[in-house]
Amino acid sequence: MLGFAARRLAFAVASVAAVVVITFLLVHAAPGEPMLGTADRTFASPDVIARQRALFGLDRPLPVQFIRYAGNLVRGELGTSFVLHRPVSSILAEALPHTLLLGGTALVASLLLGLAVGALQAARHRSRTDTLLGAATLVFYSVPVFWLGLMLLLVFGEQLHWLPVSGMRSAALEDGSALARALDVARHLVLPAASLALVQAAAFARFQRSALVESLAGEHIRAARAKGLPERTVLLKHALRGALAPTITLAGLSVPYFLAGSVLVESIFGWPGLGRVAYDAIFARDYNVITAVALVSGVLVAASNLLADVAVALADPRVRLER
Amino acid sequence: MSPWRAAARRFGRNRAAVVGAALVGALVLASLLGPLVTPDPLAQPDPVRLQDRPPSAAHLFGTDPYSRDVLSRTLSGARVSLVVGVGAALLAVTLGAGVGLVAGLAGRRTDQLLMRGVDVALALPRIILLLAVFAVWERVPPVAVLGVIAATGWFQTSRIVRAAVLSLREADFVVAARALGAGGAGLVRRHLLPHVAAPVIVSASLDVGNIILLEAGLSYLGLGVRPPTPTWGNMIMDGKDVLFSAPWVALAPGCALVLTVVAFNLAGDGLRDAFDPKVA
Amino acid sequence: MLFAAAAVLAGCARRPATPGAPVVIATTGDADVLLPPVTSVTTGINVSDLLFCRLAELKLGLNTVDDSGFRPVLARSWDHPDSLTIVFHLDPRARWQDGVPVRAADVAYTFAVYRDPAVNAPLAPFLAAIDSVVARDSLTVAFRFRRWYPEQLYDATYHMRILPRHLLDTIPPARLGAAPFGRAPVGDGPYRFVRWTAGSEIVLAADTTWFLGRPGIARLVWRVTPELATAVSTLLAGEADAMEVIPARGQLERVQHDTTVRLVPYPSPFYAAIVFNLRRPPFGDRDVRRAIAMAVDRPTVVQSVFGPFAQVAAGATGPMQWIWSDAIRQLPFDTAAAARALEARGWRRGGSGAWRSARGAPLAFTLLVPTSSGVRQQAAVLLQDELKRFGVDMRIQPLEFTVMERRTQTGDFDAAFISRTIDPSPASLLQWWSPGASDNIGRYADTTFASLTSAALRARTRAEAAPLWREALGRLNEEAPAIFLFSPRNNAAVSTRLENVTIRPDSWLATVTTWRVRETGSGARGRHTGQP
Repeated sequence: MLGFAARRLAFAVASVAAVVVITFLLVHAAPGEPMLGTADRTFASPDVIARQRALFGLDRPLPVQFIRYAGNLVRGELGTSFVLHRPVSSILAEALPHTLLLGGTALVASLLLGLAVGALQAARHRSRTDTLLGAATLVFYSVPVFWLGLMLLLVFGEQLHWLPVSGMRSAALEDGSALARALDVARHLVLPAASLALVQAAAFARFQRSALVESLAGEHIRAARAKGLPERTVLLKHALRGALAPTITLAGLSVPYFLAGSVLVESIFGWPGLGRVAYDAIFARDYNVITAVALVSGVLVAASNLLADVAVALADPRVRLER
Repeated sequence: MSPWRAAARRFGRNRAAVVGAALVGALVLASLLGPLVTPDPLAQPDPVRLQDRPPSAAHLFGTDPYSRDVLSRTLSGARVSLVVGVGAALLAVTLGAGVGLVAGLAGRRTDQLLMRGVDVALALPRIILLLAVFAVWERVPPVAVLGVIAATGWFQTSRIVRAAVLSLREADFVVAARALGAGGAGLVRRHLLPHVAAPVIVSASLDVGNIILLEAGLSYLGLGVRPPTPTWGNMIMDGKDVLFSAPWVALAPGCALVLTVVAFNLAGDGLRDAFDPKVA
Repeated sequence: MLFAAAAVLAGCARRPATPGAPVVIATTGDADVLLPPVTSVTTGINVSDLLFCRLAELKLGLNTVDDSGFRPVLARSWDHPDSLTIVFHLDPRARWQDGVPVRAADVAYTFAVYRDPAVNAPLAPFLAAIDSVVARDSLTVAFRFRRWYPEQLYDATYHMRILPRHLLDTIPPARLGAAPFGRAPVGDGPYRFVRWTAGSEIVLAADTTWFLGRPGIARLVWRVTPELATAVSTLLAGEADAMEVIPARGQLERVQHDTTVRLVPYPSPFYAAIVFNLRRPPFGDRDVRRAIAMAVDRPTVVQSVFGPFAQVAAGATGPMQWIWSDAIRQLPFDTAAAARALEARGWRRGGSGAWRSARGAPLAFTLLVPTSSGVRQQAAVLLQDELKRFGVDMRIQPLEFTVMERRTQTGDFDAAFISRTIDPSPASLLQWWSPGASDNIGRYADTTFASLTSAALRARTRAEAAPLWREALGRLNEEAPAIFLFSPRNNAAVSTRLENVTIRPDSWLATVTTWRVRETGSGARGRHTGQP
């Protein structure tokens, strides 16, 4: 078991390193220029901009920049943002928890919803329910997450006024009780999390349905049924367990989608997370922030894959023996 | 009956799959013919009075903030989505199949090297990297978008193909053919490819939908293909500023996206079920 | 007697705002850092403007030349002992929010910081005319200038916001921007910093004992909503009370139809112009430029694109500046005269109506337009149409803003549709049109214009200077290095529960201390949702 985990860990580290190198090269070698004179107030003269470039070391050759960057990384320094003038690590430290809240909620919600729908479909295989749910999951699976967010905003935020349209909190609740504030955040969480969760839930449901149907056709299921066990027990105890391992893997693989989705969704809903930071940094060509966000995402993805692999290996010993 | 024929028949009997395929065909036709009958998607005949007009007889999907006809832009945007979607999927499976074949047929060391690389690549957050690439690339022609998406999407295919090749290498008929002196290329073409083709085709067709959504997300962020060339993604980007006052601007390309991806997914599901009727 | 005095005092005292209800400002961008020399983003500037004071402020008329155009803030009074010196006497009541009094040493320190290359303040070049700032005693500070010019007071007061030396001087200048102070500043202004939640909101509370009087609004909150349409929605829903500018026409209409929010128009600090690159033929030829400028019906184009929300530019200036005037000489819209000018230079109209030079080259060029500006794109299309009818082939190339910046900086363009941000001083004209200025992207070099502007810069009073500036602007219009098209009117949106709202065009919250919240509940907060 330990050897397995160690091997996967090695992969994780290798992939993180690859992300860093690739992103650095792409971001620095490309023709764009960090927006040191902002479109907002363009009074930065060319001399000021030139001096900024020198101050940030952007006028040095590429290999020199990379060595500096790698050296800093090893020491835990992620550089300074050109636009916000503060250490990137503190920007990320502030934003990451919000994205984890949003992404985590969306992941859990999508798993629960997707598994439930998929199981229902498998249980009512080939029935009308199955067909209808199948159509619904197909549509939601095919929807672009940013458009779904905009539509939810339009309908539930603007037209019906049921939910807040932006932000993480209401301005007036700064002195409310902890419960009131938590509920307030929860209300602001609904629409962005729903945008992310609905699409992934559809993906989970589709997968779960086919995995369960396949599993339900298996030998041991027929044996269980022959024993006279109630259908629900058959479903829950035997079939689901078989579908567990791939589901964990799938959940782990969905992390990049939640991260990328947060770049799109957080801006639409004004959610102050990592996705917003990435979005703004992309437009402002804030190199250090872009690289750092790619790094953090790479780490998150590698970590979740690692966790998923280990969890699956724990659940299903056969996996450990592969390769 | 050849396995292809059997698969085709199963596909034909699957109503959903047929609908999907028909829809894809209709979309392709519309994207090709549409721009011939609708006004120029870049035209701004009356930049001021025609701004943000709701759907009417003259403009079936209304006009956008730059006074352009939304219907013609939607049809024009279909071109980019279809070209990038199908093109990148094809290119990706070609790349993946190539690498997978090499890994499966070559010696152990090459195989190990390639597959380790693929494993690391699979672990990379593709979308994050695409964002970083396109963020710094100023004006990207659709072909480049296609190329970069394909270059980051072939890894899974290579694994599938390699697995198929490995399983076939030791199969009786291959050993027999080799013993009879059959050469490498002929072997590949006549025996390996058909076996490998099925999962590759299915994977490619299911990929198209994802690639279309990926491209849409990139152009929504203002990356990839930039305005004024219409893509569904950048049309939604234009539309979000007038979401509450002129919702049709974002509604039309969004619905088009959903429709197209649903079509490809239906067809892809159908292909998968046709080739592998385990689960129906 | 005491009773009467009390009554008078009660009348003079500011009425307190409705306790507790913050005034929320909707903004689409977060601040970058709250430290005046470093901050460069709109929200950052707006917030730090209320935290840190200047020595003196411009009055609403924005007269940058006469002493009477300024009112005292940190400096209670000032005098001009000689032509190269201004001595400021600080108000002894001014103090930092940690209690320490504001002293002359703070002013000297601030000047050093703004000028330090390690800080790289974008405003540093504007302080070039100041030779030194010396603290004579704790409340007296002397500014010494390199030469005499009438806007010395403007330069001494407008660009710098005074920083607390006792809190900052131990920080190395290169690290000032990144210091924690910029995230939790201590200022001397009418508002003090409460909290900044990155990406969400910035909260300021009124300093009720501020030495120049208690601000009318107790609490100001900037709420960051990245999407413009959503930001306007928060305004209409009553979750926000004010917005600096409503940019797009569609959004303006939404606000106009709402009864709880009203629009307050004010001149924007922008003008837009099509700048010709004089290094590229045929734009080196003045008559060709004039002809193209005369072939364009500016009022119609501006009216079509903006309706009532912009004015035709009278020249390289905007209504915000006091040099703006209807009396500035402008080129008329006269296609016949334009045609004659071209013919005099050897151009002939071909069969299709297109102009061709003596050697047969068509009169064609490419106009760069930034994709970030919808209105400029619209105007460009209309202009293209007009010019086509006249026989000039103008092609439009939309480019991303940073790309366009690079092209114009390197001179790789025929013509560019640029927007200039002006400040109250007419001297900003020189930044873009003086021979040899780095921002003079078209490389326009005209000695007459240069001598007119130097004469204007030496005039002692505004009354003397104004006609000279008008001459200079008129000259610029005649030489046509650019077609000066429009200056948009900004529309701020404020809730009807705010009263006494005035807006200074260069800094919309400059007079916020005099704004009030209407005490009677006006229902603006009632009809929204999203608030428990």
